[in-house]
Amino acid sequence: MSNQSPFWNPALETLPYENVRKLQLEKFKRIFSWAYKHSRFHKILYENVGIKPDDIRSFDDITRIPTVEKAMMRDIQGKDPFPYGDALCVPLEEVTAYRQTSGTTGQPVYQPDTWQDWEWWAECWAQLLWAQGYRPKDRVFIPFGYNVFVAFWAGHYGAEKIGCEVVPGGVLDTRGRILKIQELQATAMMGTPTYMLGMADTAVNEMKIDPADLTIDKITCAGEPGASIPSTKQRITEAWGAKVYDHAGATEIGAWSFECQEQPGGMHVNDAFFLVEIKDLETAAIITEPGIKGKMIITALDRQAQPCIRFDSKDIIEWDSEQCSCGRTSRLIKGGVLGRTDDITKVKGVLFAPSSVEDVVRGIHDLGNDYELQLENINDRDVLTLQVEVLKDSEDRIDEIKSKLSDQLRLKTNLQYNIEFCQYGHLPRYQVKAKRFKDLRRTKT
Amino acid sequence: MKENQYDLQEMNTLIQTMKKTAKTLHDQAASFPAVQKNATRILASIKMLEINISDIIDLNSKK
Repeated sequence: MSNQSPFWNPALETLPYENVRKLQLEKFKRIFSWAYKHSRFHKILYENVGIKPDDIRSFDDITRIPTVEKAMMRDIQGKDPFPYGDALCVPLEEVTAYRQTSGTTGQPVYQPDTWQDWEWWAECWAQLLWAQGYRPKDRVFIPFGYNVFVAFWAGHYGAEKIGCEVVPGGVLDTRGRILKIQELQATAMMGTPTYMLGMADTAVNEMKIDPADLTIDKITCAGEPGASIPSTKQRITEAWGAKVYDHAGATEIGAWSFECQEQPGGMHVNDAFFLVEIKDLETAAIITEPGIKGKMIITALDRQAQPCIRFDSKDIIEWDSEQCSCGRTSRLIKGGVLGRTDDITKVKGVLFAPSSVEDVVRGIHDLGNDYELQLENINDRDVLTLQVEVLKDSEDRIDEIKSKLSDQLRLKTNLQYNIEFCQYGHLPRYQVKAKRFKDLRRTKT
Repeated sequence: MKENQYDLQEMNTLIQTMKKTAKTLHDQAASFPAVQKNATRILASIKMLEINISDIIDLNSKK
């Protein structure tokens, strides 16, 4: 029975890596030619540097192709063919779905998809959900507000493609969603790490329901790096009594990476559908060896309507030196997505990744899930202020907790913080992507 | 065929036959939206079969 196969595609997922590379090169040539032929935006971009489709013969040739940034996509949208602009590679009447980016880093970018693209999105998700143990017997609850953001739309269709029974929890509020999970005995769920913790919080504190007593046995997280941050993963795991898997994707890219059931401490790259390159932040050289962090440049090898070719995702990743024991031959990125270049900044001359604070805060059991982090320049000095919530049962041990938090933050980030304790429930709650770090040095004049 | 065995070449032959049939149906249905639009969706699914199977069958012969 195909349901017993550990792989969605046993041929592709176990392909010898040298053949994966051949496949990537062939598919890159194909998508590059497609974009060059059908999109004015891409043709001009490549003509400006004198690169034509026939010039692409090797991975070295690929590194000479200009990268595309989100700002470039913002610049062309709103123009003809309206509203996408001239990166569109198909007639408008072939576009069957509109989505847009979440706008976390600025004006949202529009994303057109054909039906074939949508099949492809679902295919990417089907492969990753299968790797995480989703099978037709699963009843998958999706607690997300189905809207213009792609978020878990493709997860819905990927689960359907597998044959799961999918329950769209769109217009329900958090309480309604928890009751529906209870009523239907859903076995799996998808959401951002922030919302998974928020739902558990609501269940415990407002409904007196222990989420671990519900029937959810696996959760797929996306939208934030939390499910690869050990302390956040542990909190979600304990709260729901479920196995928690990370997945990374983006509206303009697709579902490119996932944790498998082996959970080797990193995520698989879907190498057959995407070409991931890691670019050194200082030298701009392509990093092929493990253990060196850089930013991800990614190509979706099969996306048709608005191709994603050498897109500068600004995600910080590094290759893992290990091969996963699950049998998939795809490469692993160690620790998942480690941060974003637009969040990583220098504080007092030290390179600082805000996600490292999350691991410390959520590793201390006396603190709530939520925190806010603010960076200001006061009298020419960088000042970091961290607001955390202390749990009610721990309020009498503030000094001890503050000392522990301060020590661990210094150890992890080499920086000092002004720590402010708030009452439980005081800090903002987020339903989709949390924006907890605010660098006010950039916004103040 | 035994369980866990598959023949990629044979699968690809079947995929290409399906593709040809669906494309012929699509092209013959210019004035028949129900046929043409469903054939378009079938062709999108066939493309997924090509991505899964057809794209990998000749890799050993490539340098």
